[in-house]
Amino acid sequence: MNAIHLTAIVMLSLGAGTSLAAPRTPANDDEIVQRLPYRLDATARAQRAQLASRPQQLSLALDTARQAIDRARRHGDPRELGLAQAALAPWWSLPAPPPAVRLLRATILQSQHAFDASLKDLDVLARGAPDIPVALQAQAGLTRASVLQVTGRLAEAGEACGHLQAAPFTALGAPLALAARACSAELQSLQGRPREAEAALALLARDAHADTWLALVRAELAERRGDDTAAEARWREALTGGGDIYTRAAHADWLLDRHREAEVLKRLTPLDDEIDALLLRRAIALHRVHDPAAPAAAQTLQARFDAAMQRGETTHAREQARLALDVQGRAAAALVLAQANWAQQKEPADALLLLRAALAAGQPDAAEPVRRLVRQRGWSDVRLAALDRSLQP
Amino acid sequence: MTHRFDTGARRVFAGLLLAFAIAPAAQAHKASDAYLTLRMDGDLIEQRLDIALRDLDRDLALDADDNGELRWGEVRGRWPEIERLADAGVQLAAEGRECHVVARAAPQIDEHTDGRYAVLQRSWRCNGPVGAVSVDYRLFQRSDATHRGMARVIGGAQLGDGQSAVLEPGAAPRRFVLGAGQPHAASQHAPSSFLGFVAEGAHHIAIGLDHVLFLVTLLMVAVWRRSGGAWVPRDGVGPVLGETLRLVTAFTAAHSITLGLAAFGVLSPPSRWVESLIAASVLIAALDNLWPFVPGPRWTMAACFGLVHGFGFAGPLQDLGLQRGALAMPLLGFNLGVELGQLAIVALLLPVAFVLRDGRFYRQGVVRLGSLAIAGTAAVWVVERGLDLNLMP
Repeated sequence: MNAIHLTAIVMLSLGAGTSLAAPRTPANDDEIVQRLPYRLDATARAQRAQLASRPQQLSLALDTARQAIDRARRHGDPRELGLAQAALAPWWSLPAPPPAVRLLRATILQSQHAFDASLKDLDVLARGAPDIPVALQAQAGLTRASVLQVTGRLAEAGEACGHLQAAPFTALGAPLALAARACSAELQSLQGRPREAEAALALLARDAHADTWLALVRAELAERRGDDTAAEARWREALTGGGDIYTRAAHADWLLDRHREAEVLKRLTPLDDEIDALLLRRAIALHRVHDPAAPAAAQTLQARFDAAMQRGETTHAREQARLALDVQGRAAAALVLAQANWAQQKEPADALLLLRAALAAGQPDAAEPVRRLVRQRGWSDVRLAALDRSLQP
Repeated sequence: MTHRFDTGARRVFAGLLLAFAIAPAAQAHKASDAYLTLRMDGDLIEQRLDIALRDLDRDLALDADDNGELRWGEVRGRWPEIERLADAGVQLAAEGRECHVVARAAPQIDEHTDGRYAVLQRSWRCNGPVGAVSVDYRLFQRSDATHRGMARVIGGAQLGDGQSAVLEPGAAPRRFVLGAGQPHAASQHAPSSFLGFVAEGAHHIAIGLDHVLFLVTLLMVAVWRRSGGAWVPRDGVGPVLGETLRLVTAFTAAHSITLGLAAFGVLSPPSRWVESLIAASVLIAALDNLWPFVPGPRWTMAACFGLVHGFGFAGPLQDLGLQRGALAMPLLGFNLGVELGQLAIVALLLPVAFVLRDGRFYRQGVVRLGSLAIAGTAAVWVVERGLDLNLMP
């Protein structure tokens, strides 16, 4: 993110600050002051204590970091990434750490949206020195493809996926082959060949039964192709077993696009409010149905974004822009945030957001870089195409 | 979306090598923060530190029954440990001043955007108005690499909004200066010239009431000598100057030794003990003036207590934030400043005492009343410093 954008975001979040409300002493010892549904269990605590006494032991540090990253993914808690980084402290700043550390470092960095730094590490691993185990190279290749895709470098991402379908990776068997082929197909779909991509994914889905991740990829593709019937079915598959945070949020967006607010509010309840991404979708739905709880939801979200801004975090620009655009009616602010987000991430959702914000703010020129890129790269997305038409002079 | 491939990859490699995945960008909330507020008003500093209960539970395992619900009793019962963690994590140094905690607020909690926080409030009283304060922040340095301290320094009620900073655990101490109307950040720490350190030392004597009173107490009776359990005037200038020289030399030699030891980090006794002993030294010297009871020549007492006062001088020198390798010049300068300050007191006091030494007024009005007043003051200090109370306004 460049300095201008950063400054703009900070300006937009003015008024952020530590709330120094009056602290209180609870009257009753039995009052529950904090719920900790995901507190560390005894095993994790024992492992952390062990590492604290032997911080230099690589295998212990790697295992501790991996478990923290896994918890971060399952619970959506960014604190866990800090724990993972702390476990890797002795190697974190080394220019050439052991390959396994490098992979975890890249993983943590990309989760913090430090995409360039992450790619630097992944590039080294993907070059495949003999001392790097093949499985580790494969994981690095997949992660690298996803970072390249997120940052809009689709051709390179496609190459990375293709690379994983040849020797020596074929020896890793069917699970990697599935991930690599699905990755290739999705990138194909983003670069003007959605039909072939869908056919390839359908074939993969027949072999891999009830794979929720594959269903998610196909649901999003159906959404881009404008095939509502297929999308509905794929979303249902993707949400088997409840779905992870990303899937639930993406599905809520799909429902919101179809003005099915009641269903959003049925699927997302106040119990989900701790997760920013889910509270955002709920806030939009509440706002649209003029629910009295809407302002409070928006305020909570804004306060959280402010608190994150205060610590210099800019990873929420996408959600912040959505809040400004879809709830607060601050189109100009939303446009600045959407532009800042576009500087970091270039997925269809990011392009869509910027085009909508530019349209709402009455600044069609601001959308020009996105429209150019979308046309150049041959992105096929019915939603983008529709917006592109409305932006035509 | 960044985590999709990785979710696939996780399945790919489960059982092969890597049981991990990438955290979804959909995050529950922000990473870990603590909120530090310093309200500076003359010689008082009001400190408030808010630490997330979920962070405290991670490091201190507060949820004793491990039911995922933290009750107030579980927090309150562990408050001393929370205080210790906070004391080790946030260290304040008021430049050129010695400060003591004079009050601690009862255990409290407050609400922030990502949950409830423990609120630790305390008041510091310093031995003079505080112009600059440096914060050495190390909270959760080992457990969470992304933890940050959100600091706010507010300079007195009449001043502006103060200054904010994001503190990274383990970084160099952050210095805040109360300048014209507002505190501002400063990168320069200590005075840079030898003369600057001399001035610091002399300044420290001038504002250090306890050191001044100890010297005054000794010098008052330097014009007398002991004879059979009572004080009798010395004959002539020679013996008076001789006694003064012995006292000042003994005190200087002794405090130079401990100042050096403390400055180089060889010895660092707890400041509460040092400050209490300094108060006790004043009390004993004053009582000895009234009813001579300390055996041996007076210079031996000056030497013994000089050792204690040396540790007291080390505090403000350390507060200047010096590098251990470049201590010689500051140490020499500071010590010279202390000596110059002492000599000034001698020069002011001794001629008057010498002239008046035979009279009834000096015996009753100056030494008796003065020593009583000093003993009373010192007695209050002993209690205050020893028990961490605040008795005097």
